[in-house]
Amino acid sequence: MGFFTRTTETAPCTVEISHKFESLHAHVKFNNGAVIFPGDEVQVQGPEIMAPYGEIVSEDRIATITRASGLERLWTRMTGDLEFMELCEFSFSEEAMS
Amino acid sequence: MNVHNTHSADASTVEEALAADNHNVVDSEGATALAMQNTLLTPRFYTTDFEELDAINVEPVREDWDHLIAQMKADPNKGHFKKNADWDTVDWDGMEPTLKREFIDFLISSCTAEFSGCVLYKEMKRRGSNKDVTELFQLMARDEARHAGFINDALREAGIAVNLGFLTQKKKYTYFRPKFIYYATYLSEKIGYARYITIFRHLEKHPEKRFHPIFKWFEEWCNDEFSHGEAFALLMKTDPELTETWQNKLWIKFFLTAVFGTMYVRDHQRPAFHDALGVDVDWYGQEVFRKTSDLSAQIFPMMLDIDHPKWLPTLKRLQKANADLAVAEKKTGLARMLGKASGTTRAAAAFVTLFMIPVVKSTPPENVRMEPSY
Repeated sequence: MGFFTRTTETAPCTVEISHKFESLHAHVKFNNGAVIFPGDEVQVQGPEIMAPYGEIVSEDRIATITRASGLERLWTRMTGDLEFMELCEFSFSEEAMS
Repeated sequence: MNVHNTHSADASTVEEALAADNHNVVDSEGATALAMQNTLLTPRFYTTDFEELDAINVEPVREDWDHLIAQMKADPNKGHFKKNADWDTVDWDGMEPTLKREFIDFLISSCTAEFSGCVLYKEMKRRGSNKDVTELFQLMARDEARHAGFINDALREAGIAVNLGFLTQKKKYTYFRPKFIYYATYLSEKIGYARYITIFRHLEKHPEKRFHPIFKWFEEWCNDEFSHGEAFALLMKTDPELTETWQNKLWIKFFLTAVFGTMYVRDHQRPAFHDALGVDVDWYGQEVFRKTSDLSAQIFPMMLDIDHPKWLPTLKRLQKANADLAVAEKKTGLARMLGKASGTTRAAAAFVTLFMIPVVKSTPPENVRMEPSY
């Protein structure tokens, strides 16, 4: 990681998507112990993963991690906190359907 | 991967989704293309200082902590989030279009919020190594995923398919300081409890206003929110600095003001929804603020003065500024620029006015734990 430059790496990961009545969730787990820092971007490679209703789908994939530059990391640490309102159901974000 | 799709929610590719049977159904019942195309859930992804989380020591509140965790592990709400005979048939076709739009918006944003909570808690569970803390986050992630699944099911009935395909899109991880997670999620859980229970009690008195069965589930639902809030209260109790230094007191006041203000603005964006429930939005807001203030005095050394003569008029100004801002967003050129500048300035000024209203000081009790009593 440079102060001004971004770097990219790949990591094997397991994606689990549950589309069950009991639980709606989706998680990515890095299998090589990769750790995400503020401002990093993650994209799971390959086609969209869809779990049919009522099922849990688990797939091994490769994820691309774009590491934020030192400057971005610092910026995200300073400003990221302000986005906390999105945790609330009635968040400041635009209406879900607009 | 799986095939045999009859519903776009079940599709494994975009092509399958487009070919799925439910698209015709959706079109014919008039749920707009707008609604369909925006059902991709877009939770936010967060990271935080996990070393600081691991350093939490719950020993000072051990007895209360173990009791709460045991209660959550016993999972009294397991099996509650299932449809039973109380789930009456919903007449989606007969629902007034504005109400339907606002109600679906309410369901989608609730589902997204539960989902984001689940993602955040799960991340904290996975990255942490402190057993007490990871155990708590695992239990809370379970509840949030369960709630999201329940709302998802209600949406499917309305012909709305939630798409979880966001993982293969690029997503950026933003940062939260741990203490901001405590303040924000503590408040959001407690205000969530107050919102749900206020609607539930109102509908107990006015069952004819209950236009959808999901409201019958609100009582047990909000008890989950209540316990999550209790857990955060205990976490904050382990470190007195979090609620006692003057800087942190300012942060707490900021979070209280921001959360209350946001709720007021957002609720006013759904007039038909509140009309249908027979709820006056201003009354509802004040009622929820009052309950939340009383509850949060368990840990916060202050309450916002929601009876101050400037409180409601300033909230109304904040709401008007936001509404004007939304109108300006749709314009172009200079009108857009000026409209946005005016709206933003007025919203900021209103927020500062709210923030400057002196607080009502309070002394949190020695024993932090509470039980839901509304």
